[in-house]
Amino acid sequence: MNEVPQTQDWLDARLREEAPYIDDAGFTGRVMKQLPRRRSLRTQRAIIILTATILSVVIAYFASGEGWFVREALVRAATLPPLVVFAFVLGCGLLLIVGGLWAALTRIRDPIA
Amino acid sequence: MELTDADLLARVLVDGDQHAFGELVRRHQSPVRGLLRQLTRTDVELADDLAQETFIRAYKNVRSFRGEAKFSTWLYRIAYNVFRDQARKRKELVGIDESQWQAEADPKTADPGLRQDLMSALNSLPLTERSAIVLCCQNGLSHDEAARVLEIPLGTVKTNVLRGREKLKKILAAWGAVG
Repeated sequence: MNEVPQTQDWLDARLREEAPYIDDAGFTGRVMKQLPRRRSLRTQRAIIILTATILSVVIAYFASGEGWFVREALVRAATLPPLVVFAFVLGCGLLLIVGGLWAALTRIRDPIA
Repeated sequence: MELTDADLLARVLVDGDQHAFGELVRRHQSPVRGLLRQLTRTDVELADDLAQETFIRAYKNVRSFRGEAKFSTWLYRIAYNVFRDQARKRKELVGIDESQWQAEADPKTADPGLRQDLMSALNSLPLTERSAIVLCCQNGLSHDEAARVLEIPLGTVKTNVLRGREKLKKILAAWGAVG
């Protein structure tokens, strides 16, 4: 019969050595498929912001005498020379393109996915 | 730079980010499945089913994790509870109860010519000693952490580890598997 080493460290070391790393082999994927779908807080936040925006617009519309200033602005815009209207539309378009590009370029890629 | 468990948990909690939870599963699957394989006496299929249940339960209850213990310790605790629940169900369905998991296998009769190694010796210990040994000696938990996982007094964990170690040494010496 062999002698049993006296130190506990020996046994602990052997126990750690003999505990093999279990390869994932699709385990994580199977777990992920079974996770309950949860509406993310990001989506909830977006819904709250959108609702608050619509609500604010409606309140502002009625508070401002059913949007008289909008009508005033439209009447004034109708009297503007075509070149000014064209420059305004072009300016808005360019602003949107620059904004879109900036958002696309600065978007941080998810390091986990 | 690799994200810590705390960073990933924050993403799960704040953004409901399932990718982040997937990364946590990938990181911790091996020790959790290893623990359950030891608890179920290397019933790989059952252990993997229980491990899946463990992670699903962890995801559903992630908001109850307060960060007082390590995430891995919290997972071990869920795994142990899942194992116990399953043992209770088995008792109701097919009459296999926890006492059978608890039973101490006789090392002299257990596969004499087959795998007489440390893992086989470990499997021959009763559940209380086996789980304490696996948590403390194999997975490096402190006695205090193991006591929380197993929901037993600290002194009992210490006793179980001590007894388990002694038995393992005796079994290995009897098999001539030491060294």
